[in-house]
Amino acid sequence: MNFTASGDRIVVGALLVVLGTAALLEARRLHGLREAMVAGAVVGDDTFPLILGAAMVLLGLLCLIVRLPSARVSVPAGAARAQMLGSGAVLAAYWVILPTVGYTLSTALAAIALYRSMGRYRWPVAVAAGAVTTVVLHLLFRIWLRQPLPAGWLGI
Amino acid sequence: MDALVALGGGFAAALSPMNLAMAVVGALLGTLVGVLPGLGPTAAIALLFPLTTVLAPVPAIIMLSGIYYGAMYGGSTTAILLNIPGEVASVPTCLDGYPLAQQGRGGVALGVAAIGSFVAGTLGVIALTFFAPPLADRALWFGPPEYFGLMVLAFTVIASLSGGSLVRGFAMAMLGYFVSLIGLGPSTAEPRFTFGWEPLMGGVEFIALVVGLFAIAEVFLGLEEARVAIATKLRNVFPRAADLRQALPAILRGTGIGFVLGLLPGCAPGVTVFLAYDAEKKLAREPERFGRGAIEGVAAPESANNATSSAGFIPLLALGIPASPPLAVLLGGLMVYGLQPGPLLFERNADFAWTVIASFYVGNVILLLLNLPLIGMWVWLTRIPYGILGPVILLLAFLGAYSARNSMLDVGVSLVCGIAGYLLRKYQWPLAPLLLAYMLGPLLEKYLLQSLSMSGGSPLIFFQRGVALALLLGAALLLVLSLVIVHYASQRVRETTAEEMAL
Repeated sequence: MNFTASGDRIVVGALLVVLGTAALLEARRLHGLREAMVAGAVVGDDTFPLILGAAMVLLGLLCLIVRLPSARVSVPAGAARAQMLGSGAVLAAYWVILPTVGYTLSTALAAIALYRSMGRYRWPVAVAAGAVTTVVLHLLFRIWLRQPLPAGWLGI
Repeated sequence: MDALVALGGGFAAALSPMNLAMAVVGALLGTLVGVLPGLGPTAAIALLFPLTTVLAPVPAIIMLSGIYYGAMYGGSTTAILLNIPGEVASVPTCLDGYPLAQQGRGGVALGVAAIGSFVAGTLGVIALTFFAPPLADRALWFGPPEYFGLMVLAFTVIASLSGGSLVRGFAMAMLGYFVSLIGLGPSTAEPRFTFGWEPLMGGVEFIALVVGLFAIAEVFLGLEEARVAIATKLRNVFPRAADLRQALPAILRGTGIGFVLGLLPGCAPGVTVFLAYDAEKKLAREPERFGRGAIEGVAAPESANNATSSAGFIPLLALGIPASPPLAVLLGGLMVYGLQPGPLLFERNADFAWTVIASFYVGNVILLLLNLPLIGMWVWLTRIPYGILGPVILLLAFLGAYSARNSMLDVGVSLVCGIAGYLLRKYQWPLAPLLLAYMLGPLLEKYLLQSLSMSGGSPLIFFQRGVALALLLGAALLLVLSLVIVHYASQRVRETTAEEMAL
């Protein structure tokens, strides 16, 4: 499916206005702090947020008002979409379980799940590939780079 | 002559067995990751960067420059063999490279690309040797207002990297500046934009941002395009004398165009390659050969690509301004190892800087020596199915983001950046301005504050000092000039690919 996008400039414009406002509020807070802490300084941590915040709000409003040349966007469908959502979910789950389950086991699980979801390999193939990947990553990160990684409940 | 003596010292360091080995390893790894379809040079360098952190600074930077050269070259392999431009700079290479591959002359095309890259890269580094130190010698002219002018000049780079639409470029740049503000404020160390949440006090980690925006997002884009490798047979990778005779003038012209225009901020390789390709086509006696497998059509843009990247080293080392995303990642790496590019580089870290420059020469030679015999292996690598490649890249990105600071928060940031990067790329919001603004944000702020403190808060200081004013005027002038050239190039991209690509 293809369509010509127009909502994106609204989203980015709104994001700029929101973040710009946040920057202005933060600048006001920092300005108060500076007045209280440092006497006589003309500029401080609040100066750049103030300028940037104002510029972001202005540019955000411009995005909301002015029509930009729009982009042709294709939306992923069918197998590709399923693969993308699947692998995104695997990464999110990996992120959640890694600290508790521990690096080795969670990496093996994530690798197997990714080979299943992205490569659509059969279980035995995915498990074998996942095991090989885990060993190689272990050699790379634990042995060569001596990277401290969370060991989790199992201590591995 | 001073430059030559200093360079000699650099070579002495760069050619020690350990450092030479690291250059070879770096070039191998860089090419290896660079040829994988679906990973551009920026992502390749960011993914490989953690591997250098176990080394001492000098070999680490030498390995990093090897990675840089390898990754840049790797992109042309997929363009020629698979018709996949890993980034916009490889689009013109596809035009004639892929037809050559279909005719069974893919090996020759890759060989000419390697030779072109070597010639252009080496000429570029020679210019770097002689131009960068005098430029950096002007350090005494530079107070905070002048540095601020430089940062504004860099901002014009950012704006003109936005593929035609200034609004999109500025919007992304401002998001980049915003992200760079998170953390402790520079003058009072008061937390900013952390909203009382302690883990944010360290700011957003550079590697997490790059890996998310460029590697994770790229995997998802690749998944969607269902990239498949095409089997091509390579007969011979060594170009015949006739090929070389045809390619050499194109290599030299491409180098010239790429280098001279590459000195303009904002003229990224994505711009100069099209100009080089078009120039070659206009000069050709039979322009109709182009698009059907003309060897000059590979030689010129490949040389221009490398010449522009090398020209980018001059503002990078002398002024601390990266002109493209891969250079921004390289700059991030140099800073991690305590090398602060900028006018004081050659004063404070002369030996180190010259070692790095020498290693650029070495990197170019190694790449040529490695690539001609190993082309067959790179070709084989491009056939790895995406179902294997995708998961491996994602796992490496995940662990790479973690390893920078041993932080799961950084991994979370890179996952979010992955989603954001995917959506932004889909809707053609350019990512390069975001990354560069993130890099330059803290410097822009520092010089702004120092200048305003000097002047007691009056912004007039930027217009009263000659060099600062000249830099600001230069920025305005270059912005206009770059816009014209970039406009031309983005039209060419649209004609060629029937889609928009951020330059």
